[in-house]
Formats: sequence, C-alpha cells, structure tokens
Amino acid sequence: MSTSQAIYAGWMEIPTSAVNEDARRRAEDAAISALVDQYAAALYRVAYSVLRNPSDAEDAVQEAFLRVLRHRETLSEVRDHRVWLIRIVWNIVLDRKRRAKTRPETDDVAELARVLPSKGLSQEEIAAAAQHHGRVLACVERLPSKEREVLLLSAFEELTSVEIASVLGITESSVRSRLFRARNLMAELLDFERSQHERNLR
Amino acid sequence: MTSNPHSPMVANTHSGEETLRLIASLPAPEGIEERVHKVLRAAPPCMGQVVAWPAGVGLRVLPQSNHGNWMRAAAAAAIVFVVVGGGWGVYSRVEQGQSGKVVVMPARVPASGGFSGAGAIRTPETLPGPKIGEPGAREQATPASTDRSPRTPAGNKEAREPGRQPAKKAAATKNRSVQPVPSQVAPQPTVSK
Repeated sequence: MSTSQAIYAGWMEIPTSAVNEDARRRAEDAAISALVDQYAAALYRVAYSVLRNPSDAEDAVQEAFLRVLRHRETLSEVRDHRVWLIRIVWNIVLDRKRRAKTRPETDDVAELARVLPSKGLSQEEIAAAAQHHGRVLACVERLPSKEREVLLLSAFEELTSVEIASVLGITESSVRSRLFRARNLMAELLDFERSQHERNLR
Repeated sequence: MTSNPHSPMVANTHSGEETLRLIASLPAPEGIEERVHKVLRAAPPCMGQVVAWPAGVGLRVLPQSNHGNWMRAAAAAAIVFVVVGGGWGVYSRVEQGQSGKVVVMPARVPASGGFSGAGAIRTPETLPGPKIGEPGAREQATPASTDRSPRTPAGNKEAREPGRQPAKKAAATKNRSVQPVPSQVAPQPTVSK
C-alpha cells in the first residue's frame, strides 16, 4: 500500500464516536416506537376528551410524538413517560382549543348519540341519554378553565390525583380543592339546567 | 364535604362525571399507532448538527472531512486568541497596587485666644455672637423677672410688697451694676508719676 493510499484509508475510516451516535439514535427510535405502541391510544382519549373531534385528537397525538422525536435526547431523563406524554398532549390540546375557540363537535346531540355507547337501550332512551350528555357537556364548557381541566382529567380512571397534579403543574391539594369546586359548580349548573328544562316542558 | 348520595345535586354531579367517564373511555380509532409511526418516519431529521463549511472556503485538494476539521480547529484557535488577547489588553491597562490618593491637609494653627477647632478640618464661619445690652436697661428688666420666680414663702411675701426688693437680689443687681462689662471697658489712661 502506498503512502497516499494509507492516508486515504485513514480518512475513510469511520470514527467510533459516529458508531456510538448511530447506535444511540437507533435505540432512541426504538424507545419512541415502543412509546407510540403503548400510549398512543391513551393520548388519543385525553385529546378527544377536550377537543371532542376524532381527527383533531389524532392530529394532536401525532404532534405530541413529533415533539418527542425532536427532544429525543431528553427521553432518558424522564421518570414517568406516561405522565410526561399526557402533559405534552394536554398542552397541545389546550393550545389548539384556545386557538380554535369553537364548540366541540360532540355537543351536537345526534353526534353524541352516535358516539357514546348505547347497548341494550331503546331509541327513545338513546335520544334521552344523548340529550342528557349534551346538557352535561354544555355545563362542563361553562366551568372556569382551572376547574374544568381538573374535572376532565379526573374522568380518566388511570390517572391519580398526584399524576393529575404533575400533568397540570400544580400541587395535589390544589387538584383536590379544584375538583371539589368543580363538582359543586357542576351540581349547581345541572340543577339550574334541569329546572329550566322542566319549566320549558310545562 | 358533606355528601348525601340521595340528594338530587349529588346525583346530578355523579351523572355529569359519568358522561365525562364515558367520553374518556371511548376507544381510540384502529390503526392510530400505525399512522403515528408513519408520520414519525416521514418527519425530517432535525437533530443538532455541526454547520458545514461553505464549499468555496478552503483548500480543494484535501478531502472534505479532514479539511473541515482543520478549518474548525483554526477558527476555534482564532476565537480563543481574540478572547484571550482582549482580556489581556484590558487587564494590562488596569494599574495594580496603586494606593488611593490622599490629600494632605495643612495643619491648622488655632487662633490665639479663641476656642480650639477640636481637630476639625474646616469650621464654618459663625454669626456674630449676642451682644450684652446696657446695664441700666438690665436693671429695669429685673423687677418684672421677679414675678416669675418660684413661689416660696419669702417670694410671696415680697410679691405682696411691690416696692420692696429681696435682699439677695438687690445685692446682686447692685454688684452687677458696679462690675463693668469686659468688652465695654475703655482703656484707662495710666498716669505715671
């Protein structure tokens, strides 16, 4: 091998740092792929509970994972991936809702009757249930934002109050007090709605 | 919180939360994971990368990778040189070990016969002091001041007789009228025998 060939071979050599970088990136890709398989459905449900639009909710989930991909180097520092991902999608969803400022699609009673489960119910019962759900969701929309957020997240049975606090960036006691206020407000609003409804029927 | 499970308000609340639970438990559409995978694969890589040198810069005989490394090292050395040189320039201009300038004040010579300055660097000029009036005028003012004297049995007695002066005060007034004020003493011509 001539001298020039030897030098050129040295240049062509792949440095070990590049190999490590490549391996690290592959490992991160695999981790993100596992996160998608594990949590995409849960994130979709969180997004849907706020946006109440299937395509918007799916877009929010995709955006959340794109953000994860962009910050893949921080994956190793995250302790609870589930709460971390829910927090990401929650922020995306709130941001979208703030920008759109439109009423969610499922406040439409017909859409609710189609979406919500109605096994073993007659058509009349389905219609009545859909109307009731519509009223409830309208009341939820009238709650103050802080109380509404806690109430929406508390509907997810897999989320504890500590996890809700972590998602919202508040203390656990704040979560409890906001939930208490939200329930009281909801009760008042639903009571008022019911009385209005009965008056209209008379 | 007092909760009555039979109250209509609590029932309403529970039914309200039931709606939210129903919505929260709705199943995700099928194939969402696949669609997300597809989006992630299609996403452009936006990793932090070292900016490549422009093609026109540097020597063309060397391969790009080695050439880039050499240029980067040179640029880093130049930056370090500029920073260190600038720092040294500032540092060398600052004179070190220089003590603070002390202004030595001249020693004050106290005026003869007056008060001392008590070591003060500068004393303000004061206004002329109070002047003592004529001794006759003081004597006239004296009886009025006796009225304000503390009430002693003797004082009361004197107050009852306005024409009469107390013995001690009369003597003091007499002495004061006899003693000349130093400032008003005129130099007496001396008669030499």
